[in-house]
Amino acid sequence: MDFLTFMVIAIVALALGVWLYIVRQGDAEFEFIVDQRTDFRVDEQSQSAATFSCKIPFVNKGTQDGTIMDCYPRHLMPKEYYNKARIQSWLTLESNPRDDGYWEAIIIFKTTGDAIILTIRLEAKEGTIAEALKELPDLPVDIVYQVVARSDWYITKTRMTVPAEELRQAIANAGISAQTA
Amino acid sequence: MAELALQPVKTRILTPQDNIVDAIEEYARDMVGPDDVVSVAESVVAITQGRILRPEDMRPSFPARILNRFIAQKGSLSSIYGMQAAMDAEGTGRVIFAFIVGSLAKLAGRGGVFYELAGEQAALIDDVTGTMPPFDKHIVYGPANPSGVAEEIKKRLGCYGAAVADVNDLKRAAVLGVTSGLDPKRLAQILIDNPFGNASEQTPIVIIKNYAQAEAASRAAG
Repeated sequence: MDFLTFMVIAIVALALGVWLYIVRQGDAEFEFIVDQRTDFRVDEQSQSAATFSCKIPFVNKGTQDGTIMDCYPRHLMPKEYYNKARIQSWLTLESNPRDDGYWEAIIIFKTTGDAIILTIRLEAKEGTIAEALKELPDLPVDIVYQVVARSDWYITKTRMTVPAEELRQAIANAGISAQTA
Repeated sequence: MAELALQPVKTRILTPQDNIVDAIEEYARDMVGPDDVVSVAESVVAITQGRILRPEDMRPSFPARILNRFIAQKGSLSSIYGMQAAMDAEGTGRVIFAFIVGSLAKLAGRGGVFYELAGEQAALIDDVTGTMPPFDKHIVYGPANPSGVAEEIKKRLGCYGAAVADVNDLKRAAVLGVTSGLDPKRLAQILIDNPFGNASEQTPIVIIKNYAQAEAASRAAG
């Protein structure tokens, strides 16, 4: 074996070794477990508006620590489909809640997690919120998040649907609770 | 005789629109005396110098994508953006050289060689989450010309001296730049308990009161 052949083999072996190391090392991988969210409950209610929230756990199920640089909800309800209420949505980290809508970048260690509090507010455009809720269809919401870990940053989303009936039931339960109290 | 004391100074959030010396004058002028040393946190100096970058604005190179994989996860260079920032600051060749020599040294049982050889900025770069909002989504470099900044602070405030320091809650303190005549190691010792507090306390300036008198007394005593 001449020197050149030896060098080529050595470089290929080194590249293969580094590639295997990187593959084996893996990366962070986040999952927002919307199936395990809590039921929506009423945080605030008036004649014309209601604010609901639920907790959604998330986990870094990858093999590396990862940073959630940003996270926000995107509700998808065009006025052509439903025009009885103005809808707003926002979220915050359960373990370090903020009231400014800002997501503070956070490192989530591998195999650990936390939860977000997703809040949805509906304000009737006319009449009462109870009337507006009667016609509310199921509400699709995307949880959008930006991740950076060992590789390039990326933005991805987890989709969920908020059943309208669950919000109507939350209002009903809140009314019962208020009467009981 | 007056004793050495540490006096943290609260400020608003300082940004690249601020000048660090102006800010220190605005918040601390009335508290600083001729025997005092003014110390300022290095990350805040760097931010006011505009030495910050969003990962979205960076284009990591192939070497950065490989080398970051060999840095322990707690290190700021473990992300491709942190590693690229180090390469941009110190040169790709230097960082690769430091990595190769550092790896060999580690195999021989000596750690920390990579950071010794890769340059000061490699050790000072803070990855995202390393700084308080609104800079939590930025890579923050170490400050440029910290001794020059210290000299400017001294000149403007008429204090005994000034320093730019890198201190954290893990009992690690390093003084990156000082005015002439001050001992960086002695100052690091004084600041070891992190009087700057955590980021949310917003006290990036710490006045070391009566430093000149205390040091003179210490020298006289022994």
